[in-house]
Amino acid sequence: MPENSQNNNISAVDAKENSEDGNIILAKCEKEKKEYLEGWQRAKADHINYRKDEAKRFEDMARFVTAGLLQDVLPVLDSFELAFRSSPLSSSGFQQNDERGMLLIRSQLLDLLKKRGLEEIKVNAGNTFDPEMHESIGEIESEHASGSIAEEVQKGYYFMGKVLRPARVRLAKSK
Amino acid sequence: MSKILGIDLGTTNSAMAVIESGEPKIIENKEGARTTPSIVAVSKTGDRLVGLLAKRQSVTNPKNTLFSIKRLIGRKFSDMEVKRDKEWLPYDLKEAANSGVEIKLQDKWHRPEEISAMVLQKMKHDAEDKLGQKITEAVITVPAYFDDSQRKATQAAGEIAGLKVRRILNEPTAAALAYGFNKKKDEKIVVYDFGGGTFDLSVLEVTADTIEVKAVGGDTHLGGDDFDQKIIKWIAGEFKKDQGIDLSKDTLALQRLKEAAEKAKHELSTTPETEINLPFITSDESGPKHLVIRFTRAKLEELVGDMIARSVEITRSVVKDSGFALSDIDEVILVGGQTRMPAINEAVKKLFNKEPNKSINPDEVVAIGAAVQAGILQGEVKDVLLLDVTPLSLGIETLGGVMTKIIEKNTTVPTAKTQIFSTAADSQTSVEVHVLQGEREMAHDNKTLARFILDGIPPSPRGMPQVEVTFDIDANGVLSVKAKDKATAKEQSVRIEASTSLSKEEVEKMKKDAELHAEEDRKKREAVDIKNTADTLVYTAEKALRDAGDKVPADVKSDIETKIKELASVKSGDDIAAIKRASQELSNVLQKIGEHLYKQSSGGTGSPSGEKDDNVKEAEFKEKPKEE
Repeated sequence: MPENSQNNNISAVDAKENSEDGNIILAKCEKEKKEYLEGWQRAKADHINYRKDEAKRFEDMARFVTAGLLQDVLPVLDSFELAFRSSPLSSSGFQQNDERGMLLIRSQLLDLLKKRGLEEIKVNAGNTFDPEMHESIGEIESEHASGSIAEEVQKGYYFMGKVLRPARVRLAKSK
Repeated sequence: MSKILGIDLGTTNSAMAVIESGEPKIIENKEGARTTPSIVAVSKTGDRLVGLLAKRQSVTNPKNTLFSIKRLIGRKFSDMEVKRDKEWLPYDLKEAANSGVEIKLQDKWHRPEEISAMVLQKMKHDAEDKLGQKITEAVITVPAYFDDSQRKATQAAGEIAGLKVRRILNEPTAAALAYGFNKKKDEKIVVYDFGGGTFDLSVLEVTADTIEVKAVGGDTHLGGDDFDQKIIKWIAGEFKKDQGIDLSKDTLALQRLKEAAEKAKHELSTTPETEINLPFITSDESGPKHLVIRFTRAKLEELVGDMIARSVEITRSVVKDSGFALSDIDEVILVGGQTRMPAINEAVKKLFNKEPNKSINPDEVVAIGAAVQAGILQGEVKDVLLLDVTPLSLGIETLGGVMTKIIEKNTTVPTAKTQIFSTAADSQTSVEVHVLQGEREMAHDNKTLARFILDGIPPSPRGMPQVEVTFDIDANGVLSVKAKDKATAKEQSVRIEASTSLSKEEVEKMKKDAELHAEEDRKKREAVDIKNTADTLVYTAEKALRDAGDKVPADVKSDIETKIKELASVKSGDDIAAIKRASQELSNVLQKIGEHLYKQSSGGTGSPSGEKDDNVKEAEFKEKPKEE
């Protein structure tokens, strides 16, 4: 009997050790499970977020491509502006009919660009200079307050509400 | 955990990047630009402006618009460089109490690091807005030649901006990090950095776990802006010769000229010739004047050739200083927007006799590298979960002995892909799945991983059965291939343990082979495709004739039969042109069936002939070998 009880004792110790081992293994498994689950959740979330970002990136890319194209077209609009500014039917050789035709071509182009989201930045002499939408390229004497806009030299444009190119202006300096 | 921002604080422009999902990514500023001008101003109305907005008012506010601060930071007022720069910088400088430099902005004197801090602060704010989280730490890059005082001052600039500077990193080292060259042991790297205002050349050596700067050199007043000035001067000169009008006094004309010059310079990177066309550039009593000049790459290279030659000279001497020979250099990295110019690329290539690295945007590569360093500090690059990729493509053999790829090479594992295939012959009851690995077009040029047979497919016309083949690679690279007949749900599968255990050499060899034979393989593949199409066409034609029965006039019928015979006789041969021709002729006469059927039903609503299930892939299994 004593032997037996000893045996029992041994197996009790064994069981205890086993269960301790088991607990350690279980704890380790629990820890790993948590780690893996978190990693998995994170990876899945990363993927979902990436897809969302990707959609936005695509949108941005489309906008970027259009903005790039519009930027290349702006010098053409500038040339039209300069043409009308420099040729008031006088010595320049423009006939009235030619000029009307040119005006129509310009408005055709402008209409098309407006549909794509291009918008002129309105500038009036005397306006406060704002580097968000204006770029100063010089100063001239003017009756307007010093530091305000004296004249617009080159038109500026918004594209989808953002400044695509600032309006180039000369600022007033006191006489 | 908040991110560490990687910042390239440049002389003319700055850029920033962070690590996102393990990859470095440039962050746009508030204005939506990937670079920010390193300019600070106080406007006439007293507002502090930084970046693009400061630049926009610089012409009319030169005294209070500060740029090129990097040229002054951490220097003594008595430095030769400062003396030289003082000559041309439009704002006021004076000696500080500690013998450093102070700069006047409106009525206050500032240390250069305070000004640089304003640029850094804007970048910090913009990054916070973009990322939606607080940024408190940064890695900031500086030129390799910066001394201790310049580095300390740059660090101070970061701290003033509210950033804990985790590391001041050399710009060339950042470029090397961006290309991942820190992993290549014992390599010698040259970083050729041609920026807007400065030219820097560095020689690096990658040792056990560091990147060491062996030699540096350059010219602090040689850059892309000089190129632009040369071009503008040349165009204005040509115009004066032609029209007798000097444009250099007309600010708007100069502005337009500058833009056109920059654009032309970029265009000449890809085309040998461009036209500078500026209508109404100016006018005189006789009316408006237009500027139209043909500008060639040769002319551009003539204009700036001496500057490129100078950079090459510097490169040669700095490499010599490093103690290496030109031929010792393993990698050359191009940094700075100016290096997009083909002439520069050519000059560098010729000097080192190897193609320089330029795949990362040269305006962004330093910021990207700073982010990589930030990622290392942050521990994000050292991902606990390392995911492998399949080094080679995996697929199966299909009709005509071609390999149809199911999982492309470099796909991150674990992954699974499924494709549906069909039979190649009528009443085919089994298919053989021949699992292949490799990049070659033809099955027999690739490595066989396994073969197995799926049988018990109910007899039906070719193309009808749908056999779903799934390739599944687990994270340990174990590949399971399963084929399942959708009609009977019968399936067969195989497990291949060692799908990714090829040695690096084997993988490289297989990839090289594929490159080497690409053209020849493409032709073979094309031939098989043409034969397969011919085969399908003969089958379709025969079926169409059977289906139409006597609704088709005898002459049309015999015509088609002749063409079928013609195609059938050539289709198994090797005369691809003949097969193509016969296929074309057959499909032409075949259309007559449709015409007649439509005529008979006088515009009836029959569906077009040659119905096809879009879900079924064209590629078909080859028939099970007879002996099986």
